Amino acid sequence: MSEFLDFDLTLRLGEFFLSAAAKIPLTGITALSGPSGSGKTTLLRAISGLEPAVEGRVHFAGDDWSDLGPEGRSVGYVFQDARLFPHLNVSENLRYGAVRRRIHQERIDVIVDALDLHPLLPRMPATLSGGEIRRVALGRALASGPRILLMDEPLSGLDQERKFRLMPYISRAVADFGVPALYVTHSTEELTFLADRTLAIQNGKLGGWSEVSPRLMGTVTHADRDGLELAVGSVSVRVPGQGRLGETWALLLGDDFLVSSESPGVSNAALSLRARVVETDEGRGQCIAEVENQRVALPWQCRKADLPDSDTVVWLSIPRVLARPVQSPPESKAGGHSGNLGVRT
Amino acid sequence: MTIWSSVWLTLQLAGIATALLLVIAMPLAWWLAVTNARIRPAVEALTAMPLVLPPTVLGFYLLILMSPGNPIGAFWVTLTGESLTFSFSGLVIASVFYSLPFAVQPLQGAFQSVGQGMMEAAATLGASRWDAFRSVALPLSRRGLLTAAVLSFAHTVGEFGVVLMVGGNIPGRTRLISIEIYSAVETLDYASAHLLSGGLLAFSFIVLTVVYVMNGRGVRAGV
Repeated sequence: MSEFLDFDLTLRLGEFFLSAAAKIPLTGITALSGPSGSGKTTLLRAISGLEPAVEGRVHFAGDDWSDLGPEGRSVGYVFQDARLFPHLNVSENLRYGAVRRRIHQERIDVIVDALDLHPLLPRMPATLSGGEIRRVALGRALASGPRILLMDEPLSGLDQERKFRLMPYISRAVADFGVPALYVTHSTEELTFLADRTLAIQNGKLGGWSEVSPRLMGTVTHADRDGLELAVGSVSVRVPGQGRLGETWALLLGDDFLVSSESPGVSNAALSLRARVVETDEGRGQCIAEVENQRVALPWQCRKADLPDSDTVVWLSIPRVLARPVQSPPESKAGGHSGNLGVRT
Repeated sequence: MTIWSSVWLTLQLAGIATALLLVIAMPLAWWLAVTNARIRPAVEALTAMPLVLPPTVLGFYLLILMSPGNPIGAFWVTLTGESLTFSFSGLVIASVFYSLPFAVQPLQGAFQSVGQGMMEAAATLGASRWDAFRSVALPLSRRGLLTAAVLSFAHTVGEFGVVLMVGGNIPGRTRLISIEIYSAVETLDYASAHLLSGGLLAFSFIVLTVVYVMNGRGVRAGV
Protein backbone atom coordinates (compact mmCIF):
# COMPACT_ATOMS: atom_id res chain seq x y z
CA MET A 1 0.00 0.00 0.00
CA SER A 2 1.31 3.43 -0.95
CA GLU A 3 1.89 5.55 2.19
CA PHE A 4 1.63 8.81 0.32
CA LEU A 5 -0.83 11.51 -0.45
CA ASP A 6 -0.35 11.46 -4.19
CA PHE A 7 -1.98 14.16 -6.28
CA ASP A 8 -1.81 15.75 -9.69
CA LEU A 9 -4.25 18.67 -9.86
CA THR A 10 -5.02 21.62 -12.09
CA LEU A 11 -7.50 24.39 -11.43
CA ARG A 12 -8.23 27.72 -13.08
CA LEU A 13 -9.82 30.45 -10.97
CA GLY A 14 -10.04 33.57 -13.11
CA GLU A 15 -6.47 34.71 -13.77
CA PHE A 16 -4.99 32.26 -11.27
CA PHE A 17 -3.87 28.83 -12.48
CA LEU A 18 -2.91 26.02 -10.11
CA SER A 19 -0.93 23.11 -11.45
CA ALA A 20 0.47 20.92 -8.71
CA ALA A 21 1.65 17.33 -8.46
CA ALA A 22 3.47 15.70 -5.56
CA LYS A 23 3.74 12.61 -3.39
CA ILE A 24 3.63 13.59 0.24
CA PRO A 25 4.71 11.06 2.89
CA LEU A 26 1.95 10.27 5.36
CA THR A 27 3.99 10.86 8.49
CA GLY A 28 4.46 13.93 10.63
CA ILE A 29 3.82 17.47 9.49
CA THR A 30 4.43 18.56 5.92
CA ALA A 31 4.51 22.32 5.63
CA LEU A 32 3.25 23.98 2.47
CA SER A 33 4.93 27.33 2.35
CA GLY A 34 4.86 30.24 -0.05
CA PRO A 35 4.01 33.93 -0.34
CA SER A 36 0.46 35.26 -0.19
CA GLY A 37 -1.49 34.43 -3.33
CA SER A 38 0.81 31.55 -4.28
CA GLY A 39 -1.99 28.98 -4.14
CA LYS A 40 -1.43 27.34 -0.75
CA THR A 41 -5.05 27.53 0.34
CA THR A 42 -6.34 26.70 -3.13
CA LEU A 43 -4.22 23.54 -3.20
CA LEU A 44 -5.46 22.52 0.23
CA ARG A 45 -9.07 23.11 -0.84
CA ALA A 46 -8.50 21.13 -4.04
CA ILE A 47 -7.10 18.19 -2.07
CA SER A 48 -10.02 18.30 0.36
CA GLY A 49 -12.61 18.33 -2.44
CA LEU A 50 -13.85 21.86 -1.74
CA GLU A 51 -13.02 23.08 -5.25
CA PRO A 52 -15.57 21.50 -7.61
CA ALA A 53 -13.86 22.84 -10.74
CA VAL A 54 -10.55 21.08 -10.06
CA GLU A 55 -9.27 18.53 -12.55
CA GLY A 56 -6.87 15.68 -11.92
CA ARG A 57 -6.47 12.99 -9.30
CA VAL A 58 -5.96 12.62 -5.56
CA HIS A 59 -4.90 9.29 -4.07
CA PHE A 60 -4.58 8.79 -0.34
CA ALA A 61 -2.56 5.72 0.66
CA GLY A 62 -3.66 4.09 -2.56
CA ASP A 63 -7.36 5.03 -2.20
CA ASP A 64 -8.74 7.09 -5.06
CA TRP A 65 -10.40 10.23 -3.69
CA SER A 66 -10.68 11.98 -7.05
CA ASP A 67 -14.43 11.53 -7.47
CA LEU A 68 -15.40 11.95 -3.82
CA GLY A 69 -16.89 15.09 -2.32
CA PRO A 70 -15.35 16.63 0.80
CA GLU A 71 -17.72 14.66 3.04
CA GLY A 72 -16.30 11.38 1.71
CA ARG A 73 -12.59 12.16 1.89
CA SER A 74 -11.83 11.68 5.61
CA VAL A 75 -9.94 14.93 5.89
CA GLY A 76 -9.83 17.05 9.01
CA TYR A 77 -9.79 20.60 7.69
CA VAL A 78 -8.70 23.33 10.09
CA PHE A 79 -9.72 26.59 8.47
CA GLN A 80 -7.82 29.84 8.85
CA ASP A 81 -10.95 31.43 10.33
CA ALA A 82 -11.77 28.31 12.40
CA ARG A 83 -15.44 28.23 11.28
CA LEU A 84 -16.80 26.86 14.52
CA PHE A 85 -20.57 26.53 14.37
CA PRO A 86 -21.83 29.50 16.40
CA HIS A 87 -25.15 27.84 17.36
CA LEU A 88 -23.42 24.85 18.97
CA ASN A 89 -21.35 24.83 22.13
CA VAL A 90 -17.80 23.49 22.14
CA SER A 91 -18.89 20.00 23.09
CA GLU A 92 -21.45 19.91 20.27
CA ASN A 93 -18.92 21.30 17.82
CA LEU A 94 -16.52 18.50 18.75
CA ARG A 95 -19.21 15.87 18.32
CA TYR A 96 -20.50 17.20 14.98
CA GLY A 97 -18.00 15.32 12.80
CA ALA A 98 -17.57 12.48 15.28
CA VAL A 99 -21.27 11.56 15.11
CA ARG A 100 -21.32 11.63 11.32
CA ARG A 101 -18.21 9.50 11.00
CA ARG A 102 -19.20 7.17 13.85
CA ILE A 103 -16.23 8.00 16.06
CA HIS A 104 -16.48 6.68 19.62
CA GLN A 105 -16.88 9.02 22.55
CA GLU A 106 -13.63 7.63 24.00
CA ARG A 107 -11.65 9.20 21.20
CA ILE A 108 -13.33 12.55 21.79
CA ASP A 109 -12.45 12.28 25.48
CA VAL A 110 -8.80 11.63 24.61
CA ILE A 111 -8.76 14.65 22.29
CA VAL A 112 -10.40 16.81 24.96
CA ASP A 113 -7.65 15.78 27.38
CA ALA A 114 -4.82 16.24 24.91
CA LEU A 115 -5.93 19.74 23.92
CA ASP A 116 -7.05 20.82 27.42
CA LEU A 117 -10.58 21.46 26.23
CA HIS A 118 -12.45 20.32 29.36
CA PRO A 119 -13.19 23.77 30.77
CA LEU A 120 -14.39 24.97 27.38
CA LEU A 121 -16.92 22.21 26.65
CA PRO A 122 -20.12 24.02 27.75
CA ARG A 123 -19.10 27.38 26.30
CA MET A 124 -20.38 28.91 23.07
CA PRO A 125 -17.82 29.86 20.40
CA ALA A 126 -18.64 33.57 20.74
CA THR A 127 -17.25 33.51 24.29
CA LEU A 128 -13.88 31.94 23.40
CA SER A 129 -10.56 33.75 22.97
CA GLY A 130 -8.62 33.54 19.69
CA GLY A 131 -6.29 30.84 21.01
CA GLU A 132 -9.17 28.80 22.46
CA ILE A 133 -11.02 28.97 19.14
CA ARG A 134 -7.96 27.53 17.34
CA ARG A 135 -7.68 24.70 19.85
CA VAL A 136 -11.36 23.81 19.50
CA ALA A 137 -11.09 23.93 15.69
CA LEU A 138 -8.14 21.51 15.85
CA GLY A 139 -10.04 19.29 18.27
CA ARG A 140 -13.15 19.27 16.08
CA ALA A 141 -11.13 18.26 13.03
CA LEU A 142 -9.35 15.50 14.99
CA ALA A 143 -12.59 14.24 16.53
CA SER A 144 -14.02 13.52 13.09
CA GLY A 145 -11.48 10.71 12.75
CA PRO A 146 -9.58 12.11 9.77
CA ARG A 147 -6.90 10.21 7.88
CA ILE A 148 -5.08 13.48 7.26
CA LEU A 149 -5.25 16.96 8.79
CA LEU A 150 -5.31 19.85 6.34
CA MET A 151 -4.43 22.97 8.27
CA ASP A 152 -4.74 26.34 6.60
CA GLU A 153 -2.66 28.86 8.55
CA PRO A 154 -4.40 27.80 11.77
CA LEU A 155 -2.36 30.21 13.90
CA SER A 156 -2.54 33.29 11.68
CA GLY A 157 -3.44 36.50 13.45
CA LEU A 158 -2.08 35.33 16.81
CA ASP A 159 0.87 36.99 18.50
CA GLN A 160 4.15 35.12 18.88
CA GLU A 161 3.58 34.19 22.51
CA ARG A 162 0.21 32.61 21.74
CA LYS A 163 1.68 30.81 18.74
CA PHE A 164 4.36 29.23 20.92
CA ARG A 165 1.68 28.22 23.42
CA LEU A 166 -0.43 26.59 20.73
CA MET A 167 2.18 24.92 18.54
CA PRO A 168 2.88 22.14 21.08
CA TYR A 169 -0.82 21.21 20.90
CA ILE A 170 -0.53 20.77 17.13
CA SER A 171 2.64 18.70 17.31
CA ARG A 172 1.14 16.64 20.14
CA ALA A 173 -2.04 16.04 18.16
CA VAL A 174 -0.06 14.74 15.18
CA ALA A 175 2.25 12.67 17.39
CA ASP A 176 -0.43 11.19 19.64
CA PHE A 177 -3.11 10.43 17.10
CA GLY A 178 -0.83 9.36 14.29
CA VAL A 179 -2.61 11.64 11.82
CA PRO A 180 -0.29 13.22 9.27
CA ALA A 181 -0.80 16.90 8.57
CA LEU A 182 -0.43 19.15 5.57
CA TYR A 183 0.17 22.55 7.13
CA VAL A 184 -0.08 25.81 5.23
CA THR A 185 2.02 28.64 6.61
CA HIS A 186 4.47 31.34 5.73
CA SER A 187 5.55 31.85 9.32
CA THR A 188 9.21 31.10 10.03
CA GLU A 189 8.42 30.19 13.64
CA GLU A 190 5.81 27.66 12.61
CA LEU A 191 8.11 26.16 9.96
CA THR A 192 10.94 25.85 12.48
CA PHE A 193 8.81 24.38 15.23
CA LEU A 194 6.37 22.19 13.36
CA ALA A 195 7.60 21.17 9.94
CA ASP A 196 9.11 17.74 9.39
CA ARG A 197 9.51 18.70 5.75
CA THR A 198 8.62 21.74 3.71
CA LEU A 199 7.13 21.95 0.24
CA ALA A 200 7.37 25.34 -1.43
CA ILE A 201 4.70 26.78 -3.69
CA GLN A 202 4.76 29.87 -5.86
CA ASN A 203 2.42 31.19 -8.56
CA GLY A 204 0.32 28.05 -8.36
CA LYS A 205 3.26 25.71 -8.94
CA LEU A 206 5.12 23.56 -6.46
CA GLY A 207 8.77 24.51 -6.10
CA GLY A 208 10.17 21.33 -4.58
CA TRP A 209 11.17 20.31 -1.10
CA SER A 210 13.28 22.60 1.02
CA GLU A 211 15.47 22.01 4.03
CA VAL A 212 13.88 21.75 7.45
CA SER A 213 15.51 23.43 10.41
CA PRO A 214 18.09 21.12 11.97
CA ARG A 215 16.92 19.07 14.92
CA LEU A 216 18.16 16.31 17.19
CA MET A 217 16.03 13.43 18.33
CA GLY A 218 15.80 12.59 22.01
CA THR A 219 13.85 10.48 24.45
CA VAL A 220 11.86 11.75 27.41
CA THR A 221 13.50 10.45 30.61
CA HIS A 222 11.64 12.60 33.14
CA ALA A 223 8.42 14.60 32.96
CA ASP A 224 6.78 16.91 35.47
CA ARG A 225 4.36 19.82 35.43
CA ASP A 226 7.02 22.35 34.52
CA GLY A 227 8.64 20.51 31.63
CA LEU A 228 10.64 17.44 30.87
CA GLU A 229 14.14 16.03 30.60
CA LEU A 230 15.17 14.93 27.16
CA ALA A 231 18.08 12.54 26.69
CA VAL A 232 19.89 13.43 23.49
CA GLY A 233 22.64 10.83 23.41
CA SER A 234 24.59 11.33 26.59
CA VAL A 235 23.31 14.89 27.09
CA SER A 236 20.27 15.61 29.21
CA VAL A 237 18.34 18.70 28.18
CA ARG A 238 15.59 20.41 30.14
CA VAL A 239 12.82 21.51 27.74
CA PRO A 240 9.40 23.13 28.17
CA GLY A 241 6.28 21.14 27.36
CA GLN A 242 4.21 18.23 28.56
CA GLY A 243 5.35 14.76 27.61
CA ARG A 244 5.38 11.15 28.67
CA LEU A 245 8.30 8.92 29.60
CA GLY A 246 9.83 7.15 26.63
CA GLU A 247 8.33 9.48 24.03
CA THR A 248 10.46 10.62 21.12
CA TRP A 249 10.90 14.37 20.91
CA ALA A 250 12.74 16.58 18.46
CA LEU A 251 15.10 19.15 19.93
CA LEU A 252 14.82 22.04 17.49
CA LEU A 253 18.03 23.92 16.85
CA GLY A 254 16.17 26.70 15.06
CA ASP A 255 17.81 29.09 12.66
CA ASP A 256 19.63 31.37 15.06
CA PHE A 257 22.17 29.01 16.65
CA LEU A 258 25.85 29.86 16.57
CA VAL A 259 28.63 27.54 15.47
CA SER A 260 32.11 28.16 16.84
CA SER A 261 35.36 26.32 16.54
CA GLU A 262 36.16 26.84 20.20
CA SER A 263 34.18 25.97 23.29
CA PRO A 264 31.97 28.91 24.22
CA GLY A 265 32.69 28.26 27.89
CA VAL A 266 30.30 30.22 30.05
CA SER A 267 27.82 31.95 27.73
CA ASN A 268 24.26 33.22 27.54
CA ALA A 269 23.30 30.31 25.31
CA ALA A 270 20.55 28.12 26.65
CA LEU A 271 22.40 25.03 25.44
CA SER A 272 25.87 24.28 24.04
CA LEU A 273 26.56 21.03 22.24
CA ARG A 274 29.82 19.58 21.00
CA ALA A 275 29.80 18.44 17.38
CA ARG A 276 32.20 16.88 14.91
CA VAL A 277 32.19 17.91 11.27
CA VAL A 278 31.70 14.86 9.09
CA GLU A 279 31.60 16.45 5.67
CA THR A 280 31.19 19.83 4.09
CA ASP A 281 29.02 20.87 1.18
CA GLU A 282 30.38 24.06 -0.32
CA GLY A 283 27.67 24.22 -2.98
CA ARG A 284 24.91 24.43 -0.38
CA GLY A 285 27.05 26.32 2.13
CA GLN A 286 26.54 23.78 4.85
CA CYS A 287 28.38 21.14 6.75
CA ILE A 288 27.14 17.83 8.04
CA ALA A 289 28.01 17.47 11.69
CA GLU A 290 27.65 14.61 14.09
CA VAL A 291 26.14 15.56 17.42
CA GLU A 292 25.62 12.85 20.01
CA ASN A 293 25.76 10.20 17.28
CA GLN A 294 23.17 12.03 15.15
CA ARG A 295 23.87 13.78 11.90
CA VAL A 296 22.53 17.25 11.28
CA ALA A 297 23.00 19.66 8.40
CA LEU A 298 24.24 23.00 9.67
CA PRO A 299 24.08 26.04 7.42
CA TRP A 300 27.49 27.69 7.52
CA GLN A 301 27.08 31.39 7.55
CA CYS A 302 30.71 32.42 6.86
CA ARG A 303 32.50 32.54 3.53
CA LYS A 304 33.13 29.30 1.72
CA ALA A 305 36.81 29.44 2.66
CA ASP A 306 35.81 29.23 6.28
CA LEU A 307 34.01 25.93 5.96
CA PRO A 308 35.70 23.67 8.47
CA ASP A 309 37.60 20.56 7.51
CA SER A 310 36.21 17.16 8.21
CA ASP A 311 36.77 15.87 11.73
CA THR A 312 36.98 19.42 13.08
CA VAL A 313 35.31 19.77 16.45
CA VAL A 314 32.81 22.64 16.66
CA TRP A 315 30.33 23.87 19.28
CA LEU A 316 26.69 24.68 18.71
CA SER A 317 25.30 27.42 20.92
CA ILE A 318 21.49 27.44 20.96
CA PRO A 319 19.89 30.60 22.34
CA ARG A 320 16.48 29.08 23.08
CA VAL A 321 15.57 25.47 23.79
CA LEU A 322 12.52 24.34 21.84
CA ALA A 323 11.33 20.78 21.50
CA ARG A 324 8.22 18.96 20.39
CA PRO A 325 6.92 15.41 20.27
CA VAL A 326 7.15 13.69 16.90
CA GLN A 327 4.94 11.02 15.37
CA SER A 328 8.00 8.97 14.48
CA PRO A 329 11.60 10.00 14.02
CA PRO A 330 11.65 11.99 10.81
CA GLU A 331 14.16 11.05 8.19
CA SER A 332 17.57 11.09 9.87
CA LYS A 333 19.19 11.82 6.56
CA ALA A 334 20.80 15.23 6.88
CA GLY A 335 18.94 17.90 4.96
CA GLY A 336 15.56 16.21 5.13
CA HIS A 337 13.79 15.51 1.85
CA SER A 338 16.11 16.59 -0.86
CA GLY A 339 15.23 13.55 -2.94
CA ASN A 340 12.55 13.39 -5.61
CA LEU A 341 9.09 12.85 -4.13
CA GLY A 342 7.28 13.29 -7.38
CA VAL A 343 6.98 17.06 -7.20
CA ARG A 344 6.13 18.65 -10.53
CA THR A 345 7.98 21.94 -10.58
CA MET B 1 -71.70 36.58 13.80
CA THR B 2 -70.28 37.75 10.47
CA ILE B 3 -67.39 39.72 12.00
CA TRP B 4 -66.00 36.70 13.82
CA SER B 5 -66.44 34.41 10.86
CA SER B 6 -64.31 36.89 8.87
CA VAL B 7 -61.66 36.87 11.61
CA TRP B 8 -61.63 33.08 11.74
CA LEU B 9 -61.49 32.80 7.93
CA THR B 10 -58.62 35.30 7.80
CA LEU B 11 -56.62 33.43 10.46
CA GLN B 12 -57.19 30.14 8.64
CA LEU B 13 -56.07 31.65 5.35
CA ALA B 14 -52.99 33.30 6.89
CA GLY B 15 -51.99 30.09 8.69
CA ILE B 16 -52.32 27.86 5.63
CA ALA B 17 -50.67 30.41 3.31
CA THR B 18 -47.75 30.88 5.74
CA ALA B 19 -47.14 27.15 5.99
CA LEU B 20 -47.22 26.79 2.21
CA LEU B 21 -45.05 29.87 1.76
CA LEU B 22 -42.32 28.53 4.04
CA VAL B 23 -42.26 25.22 2.17
CA ILE B 24 -42.01 27.00 -1.20
CA ALA B 25 -39.79 29.87 -0.12
CA MET B 26 -37.12 27.85 1.66
CA PRO B 27 -35.67 26.04 -1.38
CA LEU B 28 -36.21 29.11 -3.55
CA ALA B 29 -34.43 31.40 -1.07
CA TRP B 30 -31.59 28.89 -0.65
CA TRP B 31 -31.14 28.69 -4.40
CA LEU B 32 -31.13 32.49 -4.70
CA ALA B 33 -28.61 32.72 -1.85
CA VAL B 34 -26.06 30.30 -3.28
CA THR B 35 -26.44 30.33 -7.05
CA ASN B 36 -24.36 32.20 -9.57
CA ALA B 37 -26.78 31.35 -12.38
CA ARG B 38 -27.41 34.06 -14.94
CA ILE B 39 -31.15 33.83 -14.47
CA ARG B 40 -30.92 34.70 -10.78
CA PRO B 41 -31.71 38.44 -11.21
CA ALA B 42 -34.77 37.56 -13.29
CA VAL B 43 -36.01 35.08 -10.67
CA GLU B 44 -35.35 37.64 -7.91
CA ALA B 45 -37.31 40.25 -9.84
CA LEU B 46 -40.21 37.87 -10.41
CA THR B 47 -40.26 37.00 -6.72
CA ALA B 48 -40.24 40.64 -5.67
CA MET B 49 -42.89 41.84 -8.16
CA PRO B 50 -45.82 41.69 -5.69
CA LEU B 51 -43.97 44.38 -3.70
CA VAL B 52 -44.36 46.95 -6.48
CA LEU B 53 -47.33 45.77 -8.53
CA PRO B 54 -50.77 47.19 -7.66
CA PRO B 55 -52.65 44.33 -5.97
CA THR B 56 -55.42 44.73 -8.53
CA VAL B 57 -53.00 43.92 -11.36
CA LEU B 58 -51.80 40.77 -9.64
CA GLY B 59 -55.39 39.93 -8.72
CA PHE B 60 -56.58 40.48 -12.29
CA TYR B 61 -54.03 38.09 -13.81
CA LEU B 62 -54.58 35.50 -11.08
CA LEU B 63 -58.32 35.73 -11.74
CA ILE B 64 -57.72 35.10 -15.45
CA LEU B 65 -55.38 32.18 -14.72
CA MET B 66 -57.75 30.59 -12.21
CA SER B 67 -60.91 30.97 -14.21
CA PRO B 68 -62.42 27.68 -15.48
CA GLY B 69 -61.93 28.89 -19.06
CA ASN B 70 -58.14 28.75 -18.56
CA PRO B 71 -56.21 25.43 -18.62
CA ILE B 72 -55.04 25.87 -15.02
CA GLY B 73 -58.49 26.75 -13.73
CA ALA B 74 -60.06 23.98 -15.81
CA PHE B 75 -57.57 21.44 -14.45
CA TRP B 76 -58.50 22.46 -10.91
CA VAL B 77 -62.20 22.03 -11.68
CA THR B 78 -61.48 18.55 -13.09
CA LEU B 79 -59.47 17.69 -9.99
CA THR B 80 -61.75 19.02 -7.26
CA GLY B 81 -65.10 19.68 -8.88
CA GLU B 82 -65.13 23.35 -7.87
CA SER B 83 -63.77 26.55 -9.36
CA LEU B 84 -60.67 28.25 -7.98
CA THR B 85 -62.17 31.67 -8.42
CA PHE B 86 -64.34 32.92 -5.58
CA SER B 87 -63.24 30.01 -3.39
CA PHE B 88 -61.09 29.64 -0.27
CA SER B 89 -58.57 27.52 -2.26
CA GLY B 90 -58.21 30.35 -4.76
CA LEU B 91 -57.58 32.77 -1.91
CA VAL B 92 -54.82 30.51 -0.59
CA ILE B 93 -53.08 30.39 -3.97
CA ALA B 94 -53.45 34.14 -4.49
CA SER B 95 -52.08 34.81 -1.00
CA VAL B 96 -49.06 32.62 -1.64
CA PHE B 97 -48.21 34.64 -4.76
CA TYR B 98 -48.94 37.95 -3.09
CA SER B 99 -46.88 37.29 0.06
CA LEU B 100 -44.01 35.41 -1.61
CA PRO B 101 -41.43 38.22 -1.30
CA PHE B 102 -42.21 38.57 2.41
CA ALA B 103 -41.14 34.95 2.89
CA VAL B 104 -38.30 34.73 0.36
CA GLN B 105 -36.41 37.91 1.12
CA PRO B 106 -35.79 37.43 4.89
CA LEU B 107 -34.87 33.80 4.24
CA GLN B 108 -32.53 34.69 1.40
CA GLY B 109 -30.78 37.28 3.55
CA ALA B 110 -30.46 34.82 6.41
CA PHE B 111 -29.06 32.08 4.17
CA GLN B 112 -26.59 34.51 2.62
CA SER B 113 -25.33 35.54 6.04
CA VAL B 114 -24.68 31.89 6.96
CA GLY B 115 -22.15 31.84 4.14
CA GLN B 116 -20.58 29.03 2.18
CA GLY B 117 -17.80 28.77 4.77
CA MET B 118 -20.03 27.10 7.34
CA MET B 119 -21.37 24.67 4.74
CA GLU B 120 -17.82 23.81 3.72
CA ALA B 121 -16.85 23.20 7.32
CA ALA B 122 -19.82 20.85 7.72
CA ALA B 123 -18.89 19.01 4.51
CA THR B 124 -15.32 18.39 5.67
CA LEU B 125 -16.80 16.97 8.88
CA GLY B 126 -18.75 14.37 6.93
CA ALA B 127 -22.11 16.10 6.45
CA SER B 128 -23.98 15.68 3.16
CA ARG B 129 -25.50 18.81 1.59
CA TRP B 130 -28.95 18.13 3.04
CA ASP B 131 -27.46 17.29 6.43
CA ALA B 132 -25.39 20.51 6.40
CA PHE B 133 -28.49 22.52 5.42
CA ARG B 134 -30.59 20.92 8.16
CA SER B 135 -27.96 20.99 10.93
CA VAL B 136 -26.11 24.24 10.15
CA ALA B 137 -27.83 26.56 7.67
CA LEU B 138 -31.34 26.20 9.06
CA PRO B 139 -30.52 26.70 12.76
CA LEU B 140 -28.29 29.65 11.90
CA SER B 141 -31.15 31.13 9.86
CA ARG B 142 -33.82 30.65 12.50
CA ARG B 143 -34.28 34.38 12.97
CA GLY B 144 -34.79 34.82 9.23
CA LEU B 145 -37.21 31.90 9.30
CA LEU B 146 -39.23 33.45 12.13
CA THR B 147 -39.22 36.84 10.42
CA ALA B 148 -40.40 35.25 7.17
CA ALA B 149 -43.20 33.40 8.96
CA VAL B 150 -44.37 36.44 10.93
CA LEU B 151 -44.27 38.82 7.95
CA SER B 152 -46.00 36.33 5.65
CA PHE B 153 -48.75 35.78 8.19
CA ALA B 154 -49.21 39.48 8.89
CA HIS B 155 -49.15 40.43 5.22
CA THR B 156 -51.76 37.80 4.38
CA VAL B 157 -53.96 39.01 7.21
CA GLY B 158 -53.85 42.54 5.81
CA GLU B 159 -54.31 41.86 2.07
CA PHE B 160 -57.27 43.39 0.27
CA GLY B 161 -56.97 44.05 -3.44
CA VAL B 162 -55.86 40.63 -4.58
CA VAL B 163 -58.35 38.73 -2.45
CA LEU B 164 -61.20 40.98 -3.52
CA MET B 165 -60.35 40.35 -7.19
CA VAL B 166 -59.90 36.59 -6.83
CA GLY B 167 -62.33 35.77 -4.03
CA GLY B 168 -64.98 38.43 -4.17
CA ASN B 169 -67.03 39.08 -1.06
CA ILE B 170 -68.86 35.90 -0.06
CA PRO B 171 -69.68 35.82 3.69
CA GLY B 172 -68.14 32.82 5.44
CA ARG B 173 -66.29 31.79 2.32
CA THR B 174 -64.12 34.60 0.98
CA ARG B 175 -65.02 37.59 3.11
CA LEU B 176 -61.82 38.35 5.01
CA ILE B 177 -61.27 41.03 7.68
CA SER B 178 -60.14 43.67 5.20
CA ILE B 179 -63.20 43.07 3.00
CA GLU B 180 -65.44 43.01 6.05
CA ILE B 181 -64.13 46.47 7.00
CA TYR B 182 -64.81 47.70 3.46
CA SER B 183 -68.36 46.30 3.57
CA ALA B 184 -68.94 47.76 7.04
CA VAL B 185 -67.92 51.23 5.91
CA GLU B 186 -70.09 50.96 2.82
CA THR B 187 -73.09 50.13 4.98
CA LEU B 188 -72.12 52.83 7.53
CA ASP B 189 -71.53 50.17 10.23
CA TYR B 190 -68.72 52.19 11.78
CA ALA B 191 -68.73 50.22 15.03
CA SER B 192 -67.72 47.03 13.24
CA ALA B 193 -65.24 48.94 11.06
CA HIS B 194 -63.65 50.48 14.17
CA LEU B 195 -63.43 47.16 15.93
CA LEU B 196 -61.79 45.37 13.03
CA SER B 197 -59.55 48.27 11.97
CA GLY B 198 -58.36 48.84 15.53
CA GLY B 199 -57.68 45.15 15.88
CA LEU B 200 -55.61 45.08 12.67
CA LEU B 201 -53.75 48.22 13.76
CA ALA B 202 -52.78 46.68 17.09
CA PHE B 203 -51.96 43.36 15.43
CA SER B 204 -49.64 45.05 12.89
CA PHE B 205 -47.89 47.04 15.60
CA ILE B 206 -47.30 43.97 17.75
CA VAL B 207 -46.07 41.88 14.83
CA LEU B 208 -43.59 44.53 13.68
CA THR B 209 -42.35 45.05 17.24
CA VAL B 210 -41.78 41.31 17.58
CA VAL B 211 -39.81 41.26 14.31
CA TYR B 212 -37.63 44.19 15.37
CA VAL B 213 -37.01 42.69 18.81
CA MET B 214 -35.97 39.40 17.20
CA ASN B 215 -33.62 41.14 14.80
CA GLY B 216 -32.17 43.26 17.61
CA ARG B 217 -31.41 40.15 19.65
CA GLY B 218 -29.77 38.60 16.61
CA VAL B 219 -27.47 41.58 16.20
CA ARG B 220 -26.49 41.59 19.89
CA ALA B 221 -25.87 37.84 19.89
CA GLY B 222 -23.79 38.14 16.75
CA VAL B 223 -25.87 35.49 14.99
